[in-house]
Amino acid sequence: MMGCTNNPAARRYYRRVTYTMFVYALLLVVSVVAFTRHHPTGLLAYVLAVLPALPIVGMMVVFGLYLREEKDEVQRAIGVEALVWSTGATLSLTTVWGFLENFVHVPHLQLMWIYPIFWVFFGISMPMINARYK
Amino acid sequence: MNCAIKSPAQRRFVRASLISATLVVVLAVGAAVTFRLWHLKGLPAYPVAVLPALPILWVLFETGRFLAVEKDEFQRNLLVQCMLGGIGGTLATTTAWGYLEAFAHVPRLQAVWVYPIFWLFVVIAWPVVYRRYK
Repeated sequence: MMGCTNNPAARRYYRRVTYTMFVYALLLVVSVVAFTRHHPTGLLAYVLAVLPALPIVGMMVVFGLYLREEKDEVQRAIGVEALVWSTGATLSLTTVWGFLENFVHVPHLQLMWIYPIFWVFFGISMPMINARYK
Repeated sequence: MNCAIKSPAQRRFVRASLISATLVVVLAVGAAVTFRLWHLKGLPAYPVAVLPALPILWVLFETGRFLAVEKDEFQRNLLVQCMLGGIGGTLATTTAWGYLEAFAHVPRLQAVWVYPIFWLFVVIAWPVVYRRYK
């Protein structure tokens, strides 16, 4: 998936990812600025907190669309495998950290880091799986 | 998949999930009792804290194995799309909650809940994805 820029499904995927990331960055800035400057409370605080989460759902929809549109079975398999590995690694890390938080009192893992952690694992697993299929 | 378990891969996956869920409860209670009775600190505390996470890692490994060995492409696609729904829902929830924690001072969500939240979203996504294929 990474290197196939001639692939129409991959091109569409990258374009959609770019748009979604742009919306994410925009909503993130809006949300953080609103929270730090205006200290909203009640319903407005919830709405502002949920705003940056919407493009995150969008990213998963974009990835689902890619898997549906991708004609190359190998590329699809690589994408699915990377999804499974990054999901597994993220859930493993949060679970282990969670038990350490509960029992050994390590610092609290800020939940907003889970999304970047997922993509770090995705970025690590992708080239490794790609190399295996070569 | 959960209504009529046909293939050996599905049976293995469901069995592993059920055993893992039981083991998590047993090991978490065991770890909690150990910490309460012996007040573990330092290096010995870490392996005991990590112990309840091991069955979770096992079930994630079994999920990957199921996707690798299941011959029915429909069942494979079903699980992949439910996992996409699961991780999308989880990342959106943790991000929104993370901002609420940081800015609106809602109660802390322990990282140990991320894994059950993921499977909750998988279960929610299951009938939606299944109905789309019908």
